[in-house]
Amino acid sequence: MTASLEKGINVLKEVIDAPIASFFASCVHCGLCAEACLFYTESGDPKYTPIHKLEPLRRVYEQEYTLLGRIKKRLNLSRPLTDEELGQWRELVYDSCTLCGRCSLVCPVGNDIVYMIRRLREGMAVAGHAPEGVIGATKRTVEIGSPMGVRWPAVAAQIKHIEADTGLEVPVDKEGAEYMILLSSMEIINFPEYLGAIAKIMKQAGKTWTLCSDAFEATNSGIQIGVSDIARVIVSRIVNGAERLKVKTVVSPECGHAYTALRWEGPNLIGRPYTFEVLHILEVLDQFRAQGLLKTEGFEETRLTFHDPCQIVRRGGVIEPQRNLLKMVAKDFVEMSDPGKYNWCCGGGGGVSANEDAEALRLIAFKRKKAQLEETGAKTLVTACANCRIVLEEGLEHYQMDMPVVGLTELIAEHLVKSDTAAKEAAAQGA
Amino acid sequence: MSISNDSEFKSALNRLTPVQQRMVAARFTENVLSLCEDPRVVAAVNAAKRPDISEAELSVVFQAAKTASVETYTQCGKEADWRNQAGHFVAKAALLCVTPPERAGNLAWSAAMNARMARTCETIANDQGTENREAEQQYRVLTELLNQ
Repeated sequence: MTASLEKGINVLKEVIDAPIASFFASCVHCGLCAEACLFYTESGDPKYTPIHKLEPLRRVYEQEYTLLGRIKKRLNLSRPLTDEELGQWRELVYDSCTLCGRCSLVCPVGNDIVYMIRRLREGMAVAGHAPEGVIGATKRTVEIGSPMGVRWPAVAAQIKHIEADTGLEVPVDKEGAEYMILLSSMEIINFPEYLGAIAKIMKQAGKTWTLCSDAFEATNSGIQIGVSDIARVIVSRIVNGAERLKVKTVVSPECGHAYTALRWEGPNLIGRPYTFEVLHILEVLDQFRAQGLLKTEGFEETRLTFHDPCQIVRRGGVIEPQRNLLKMVAKDFVEMSDPGKYNWCCGGGGGVSANEDAEALRLIAFKRKKAQLEETGAKTLVTACANCRIVLEEGLEHYQMDMPVVGLTELIAEHLVKSDTAAKEAAAQGA
Repeated sequence: MSISNDSEFKSALNRLTPVQQRMVAARFTENVLSLCEDPRVVAAVNAAKRPDISEAELSVVFQAAKTASVETYTQCGKEADWRNQAGHFVAKAALLCVTPPERAGNLAWSAAMNARMARTCETIANDQGTENREAEQQYRVLTELLNQ
């Protein structure tokens, strides 16, 4: 047994906690999780059945923590996990799982399969079987602060462009601001218009906000690769920045896993409650709407549909805000089949889009989204996750579907009332 | 007439007709075209410079430029290659040049912004910081066009 394999198996032994033990003991082998996984439904290959992806972890559980398994192990009747097997499982654990959580949602006995996959990834990573792309992203996040290697000067350059474009200031390191806005590197690199939209919306809402120069990045590849120590470092950077600037609310950007990592897992990772609130940008916008601080004009002329990012909706619980916001700007909004918490993943979450090995399979899985979109007859696709946005654009391009994909925050910003008077009225109504 | 800041620049662009916007957007994009070798992007810029281009031709070059723009995204988690990223912003600028007016808004301004971002990516790639003179170049291009 190699040293890395031994370490990996030790990690697998350690990560099997009471919930995981009960999940394995409770599985009734019904196969419902297979029908919930787009990698299985679109490929038809039973190896993509979610519970099957956990087979290495199940074997360790059986051999180490069940009476029968321990007896079999002592009598050399069980097969020890090998490095080769873990290598073979990489495709199942990383390439064909976006951590979307649909399998966990449909499991009749309540097994959180995503939780188990993430814990399995911890052992896989230590055993040296995480994909290069995800390892690289994680290293860059720890060393540079961004999974894509984006440093502050590049952010500052984009800020300059945004300020020129909008004529509005993008505040940086403003102590005491109400909101600290986080970005994903994707927004800095590919969708700088998101930051422009934030500047316009905050201006209209009359709120103070800031970026933090040493904690601008929201994404957490520690979560994706499955290494809690790294996830903790990344969360701590944001917590330190927010506490240094004494902000009231930290706003997660249009990124799925960044939200769940920071809001739902962050306090557990750092071992204490936050001194600030964490909200997704859609929740903030919906609060502004409810307070009358978000005043829009005009409607989109074409039929729109909305792609629910899994981590925001299914894992994060943000379901109604985006629909409330869409009603403000769209007269012909149509839901996809299986909307909200049952929505199907774009196929690129959970580190899959950073993983070149997964590209062909991802495009096969996209057939589900293609079918969903075709059913709606929509002409424009709206979403609220930069990663989903690119995966959707690539999938649409691959299947030659001409459908613009837009971010919801930008769409709202495009419809903000232009006159100062109207904005003041909106603020007065909210006061 | 002379343009020396973004406020004057934007106002002047807003006064242009859609056809003029398309042609000036092509000039802005042409200025950074050396940062992108994709023939679909070059074709889009060349098409945008033609005042007599038909809607059918525009639709074909638009689709090709859109594909180039999507293909050049830096994917989530991948290390940013600033030279490639410059090419992406050039592709986006070229796409704007051939976008149907009803879908593009102030396309010349948007193309100008993307061209500036492309130039910034180039200077980052060359370890030359983020400062550059692209905005001033655009003021000069527009001033020359308006004074013709």
